[in-house]
Amino acid sequence: MTSLDTVVTAEAPEGIELVLRPAGIVARTYAFLIDALIRATILIIASIALGSMNKLGGALFLILLFLVEWLYPVLFELLPGSATPGKRAVGLKVLMDSGLPITPAASLVRNLLRAADFLPLLYGFGAVSMLLRPDFKRIGDLAAGTLVVHAGSTRLHGTLPDAPPRAPARTLSTHEQAVIVAWAGRATRLTPARFDELAELALPAVGRSPDDAARATQRLLGVAQWLLGRR
Amino acid sequence: MTPLQFESRQRARWDELESSLAALEQGRKATKKASTGAPAPLDPAHFDPAHLAALYRAACEDLALARSRAYPVHLTARLEELTHRAHQVIYRRSDYGMARLKRLALVDFPQSVRAHWRYMLVAGLVFALPLFLLGLATFFDPGLVLSVHDAETARQFDHMYGPGRDPLGRERGADSDWVMFGHYIKNNIGIAFQCFAGGVFFGLGSLFFLAFNGAAAGSVAGYLTARGHGEAFYSFVVTHGAFELTAIVIAGAAGLRLGQALLAPGRRTRLEALKLAASEAAVLIYGTIAMLLVAAGIEAFWSSARWVSPAVKYGVGAACWVLVIAYLCAQGRPARGQHAQHAGHHAG
Repeated sequence: MTSLDTVVTAEAPEGIELVLRPAGIVARTYAFLIDALIRATILIIASIALGSMNKLGGALFLILLFLVEWLYPVLFELLPGSATPGKRAVGLKVLMDSGLPITPAASLVRNLLRAADFLPLLYGFGAVSMLLRPDFKRIGDLAAGTLVVHAGSTRLHGTLPDAPPRAPARTLSTHEQAVIVAWAGRATRLTPARFDELAELALPAVGRSPDDAARATQRLLGVAQWLLGRR
Repeated sequence: MTPLQFESRQRARWDELESSLAALEQGRKATKKASTGAPAPLDPAHFDPAHLAALYRAACEDLALARSRAYPVHLTARLEELTHRAHQVIYRRSDYGMARLKRLALVDFPQSVRAHWRYMLVAGLVFALPLFLLGLATFFDPGLVLSVHDAETARQFDHMYGPGRDPLGRERGADSDWVMFGHYIKNNIGIAFQCFAGGVFFGLGSLFFLAFNGAAAGSVAGYLTARGHGEAFYSFVVTHGAFELTAIVIAGAAGLRLGQALLAPGRRTRLEALKLAASEAAVLIYGTIAMLLVAAGIEAFWSSARWVSPAVKYGVGAACWVLVIAYLCAQGRPARGQHAQHAGHHAG
């Protein structure tokens, strides 16, 4: 976790840190547009279905309009999943900024304050607030103490590729061990050239033998396996 | 201990936690589907909460160890995901039932209104002063109504409350009562929400919407009184006004609470003060919504009923005002002798 990452950590009562990844303005705009589309579809279908009925249909339509305008997000945020369909499609969900599931009061507050975020036009204040803050909260999120996060976890690191285990040339610090194992875990994501290039930086740890790069990589992978516990 | 040993030793517990979580997350949907039938046969292994909690704590411990020993990222990442999911499942609140609603209506809401009486007073004045001032001004100079409403709207008011051919309510069937019910819900609750949300701009939005709506209502009242439609108008508004006007004042007061938190946060940061204010205000908003639903119902089905004589409406209206005020002033006070227990208790 470097200062570049836009992560928020929240401490759980069990003494661990929950790592939350707040969602930025682009992902949230997509989610909002999808939701807007869904809302519009609901209203169009309802207006066709209820329009054929008598005035009772008109009343139901007005009530539905109110519900869709104000309470659509509240309803979905309180269901398991804590996300409107649009957010779910983009892979977002809403949490308290303590990492806890969202409470009804918080959901109500953050969605009523949409009216403030919307001003002066087209979510102007909301956008400014999101762009200024590292945790991308809009005004409603600030007041309610909520956070829109990416729900899924990305797997950047796979399991380590096989290599004959090999003891390092010298005792490695915990940090060095972690770096070497993390490097090996990224084998499938890095291009071979970059992978080799990084391996060369660690040559001193593997032992002095400046032969070709591919062998250095193999040896470092061996060290990584050794560090994991293979002998 | 090497990472491999660690993983092979603890893996069984992680897998068990993972499958329990999957079952719980799925089970929630499954039980909902099967809610019509007999109670779903819960697998005791998956639904033993104590065991789940134990697995969760063990996973937390493993995560802490894995982090401090700088174990490979794929290991800690898996544990992070696992603990995060379990945290969500374990700490999800599930007491949304009737008991909570009952407590909200009988205790928390009226208590919260009284606890915020200063805000209520300010919001009430900001709403009522323009109402009376514009009411009087428009009464003496009916043309002033055009400074708040446009001519078309003013003509509609004349039409609605005047003794014209198709006045509001006279020829209306049950159908259009329903339409008006829908209209009042959408319109009035929307206004209340605006009064609340405007509060985050240091209270200015709330003040503006309160004063504006007060002025709008006052000018209509003054105009119609001057035109001689006073009885039709007042007998129409008196009953639901008890709920509607108080609810709008309460929503505005909730907004002012937000604004006050930003202007004078006390010993908290502005952000913390705002959060606290919002959680207090949410209780007020719940009550506001309920009151406006009642108001919409009364407005659509009772206020507009012209077969009821104005005298009866005034009587019922007065009773409603007494009821609302009594409810807000007296409901939910602790019984005598219990003050110590309840002091300082606040629902968030």
